[in-house]
Amino acid sequence: MKLFQVVLKDISSRKKRLFYAALGVAVGTMTIIGILTVADAGQQRIYDQLDKYGPNILVTPAITSLDMQMGNMNLGTVSVGDNYIEESKLPAIKKTGNDILAPLNAHTSSDLVTLAPKLYVNTEINGTKIVAVGIDSRYEMSVKLWWEVSRGSYIFDPHDALAGSMVSELLGINPGDSIDLNGTGFTVAGVLASTGSDDDYRVFVPLNTLQQAFDKEGLISSVDVRGCCTTCPIEEVADGINNAVTGIRAVAIKQVAASEMGMMEKVSSTMLSLSGITLAVGLFGVANTMLASVNERLKDIGIMRAVGASRRQIVKIFTYEALAIGILGGLLGYAAGNMLAFALGPFIFEGIEIAFIPVYLPLSIGVATLISVVATGYPAFRATKFKVADSFRSL
Amino acid sequence: MLEVKNVSKYYGQGHTRVTALDGVSMAVNDGDYVAIMGPSGSGKSTLVNIIGGLDSLSCGEIHLDGKRIDDRNENSLVELRRGEIAYIFQQYHLLPSLTAVENVMLPLTFAGTRADQSTALKMLEEVGLGKRGHHRPAQLSGGEQQRVAIARALVGKPRLILADEPTGNMDRKTGAQIMALFDFLNKEGHTIITVTHDPAVAELAHRLIMLEDGKITEDRPTTAVCG
Repeated sequence: MKLFQVVLKDISSRKKRLFYAALGVAVGTMTIIGILTVADAGQQRIYDQLDKYGPNILVTPAITSLDMQMGNMNLGTVSVGDNYIEESKLPAIKKTGNDILAPLNAHTSSDLVTLAPKLYVNTEINGTKIVAVGIDSRYEMSVKLWWEVSRGSYIFDPHDALAGSMVSELLGINPGDSIDLNGTGFTVAGVLASTGSDDDYRVFVPLNTLQQAFDKEGLISSVDVRGCCTTCPIEEVADGINNAVTGIRAVAIKQVAASEMGMMEKVSSTMLSLSGITLAVGLFGVANTMLASVNERLKDIGIMRAVGASRRQIVKIFTYEALAIGILGGLLGYAAGNMLAFALGPFIFEGIEIAFIPVYLPLSIGVATLISVVATGYPAFRATKFKVADSFRSL
Repeated sequence: MLEVKNVSKYYGQGHTRVTALDGVSMAVNDGDYVAIMGPSGSGKSTLVNIIGGLDSLSCGEIHLDGKRIDDRNENSLVELRRGEIAYIFQQYHLLPSLTAVENVMLPLTFAGTRADQSTALKMLEEVGLGKRGHHRPAQLSGGEQQRVAIARALVGKPRLILADEPTGNMDRKTGAQIMALFDFLNKEGHTIITVTHDPAVAELAHRLIMLEDGKITEDRPTTAVCG
């Protein structure tokens, strides 16, 4: 018979106490696993978006908000700058991008950047307000690789329209239907599959037709710039465009994602520090349970020492018990943490998909075991300090 | 074999101090069978606890085979408990979560020697409990539990057995069986010191020591020796 078998036999006769002690640790690990799982899903979502947008740059009009003050009085803000970009600036944007990327891609002579200009207008279809987007149908699919036409076809004709999935559903618009935008007629050529983005709520028509329909010839609202290389120095291209072309602001989508990621990491670390408090509570819980266990088992400890157990062996016995509590607590914490993540994750970060992360199981068991062993230290030490005769006398 | 030299034990301090043992001296030879008797609170249990290192003394010395043992540290006392000295208690003190045979194996487990069931079962057979080895203490009678405790004490092959009222919780018949077992163990060569309230049990030993108020008042051979 080995020492751990003695402990296992003892544990099996006190299952409830072991379970309650494990529960104390499990609460702590549950919060950690829950937070990590949610944070992981959130980060995954950002990574997915990053993958989706690829090495893209968003070019928008350079509008600055100025604070208007008189003395110490704040009189509000004033936007300075145009709300549109002149279409004539597109060649300059394209040239800047090509110039920066050309030395890195000497083997190809074709365009290294694709520009997808857009014009956004607020309008109505059958009395319902929607956003209509004018796109260059030749290039839009090149920057939105995730677009899929679920019904009908893509737009080829100047009076074709492509409806977002929600627009189609809410307004009952289907391929072949006619719609009217500010007096100009369009035929719905197709409906996009759901993208999970704002595109689901929009109607896409050829840029030139929309510009004419709304008297905005030569004007665009934004330009998506995609570098035709996987490792393009996209921030460098954005900086180059900002320096070369006036009246516009170019931002690498990656930067936006990185900033989102930074925010996510901050939130995660704050939540993790809070979960440290629950772990500390769990630690005291286990210490308390183990102290109670020492007092309760004073006689057993005395018996063991009377028949030859050394102090080290008594500490070992409590350590084995702590390991059992830790393993059980870790398993419970992992299961409960995942349930917590599945239940609360979608409320914390909208649209995320929670998944089991197997690598967190050993982490959960490790943390729970560490806490349990640390919490057992003092009670185990105390257990060795009694005189054997005292442990019988105190009964 | 064993020498107790002027041993005293006090509990508490100042005006609350209680003297449990007051300058007790005695010597026990190899193969002796000694009974210690005395009224409650006379210091009988305290004396065997101190001899076995389960309790500390306030002053005096204990020598085993000429070597002082009362000043040993805990690790050194553990070595004594793993072969030299074994205890048998009035309350049996078996671990309730283990079966009889596992309780008997316990000293071997702690000593790090090979603890197989056959050794423990053989011990249980020697005390007449061969068929009850896989029962837990709660499923055994008082007499059976004490036999398990005796088998546990014997498994480490101790030279000195200290027993604190081993028949205290038993009826006369069961007590007599246990004492017959003690007699057998003594004949096998074990030195035995037993504490008892029962004069009949004490008379089975070869030597009787009477304690009163922590002092030895009588130390004589019993009728078992004198006839």
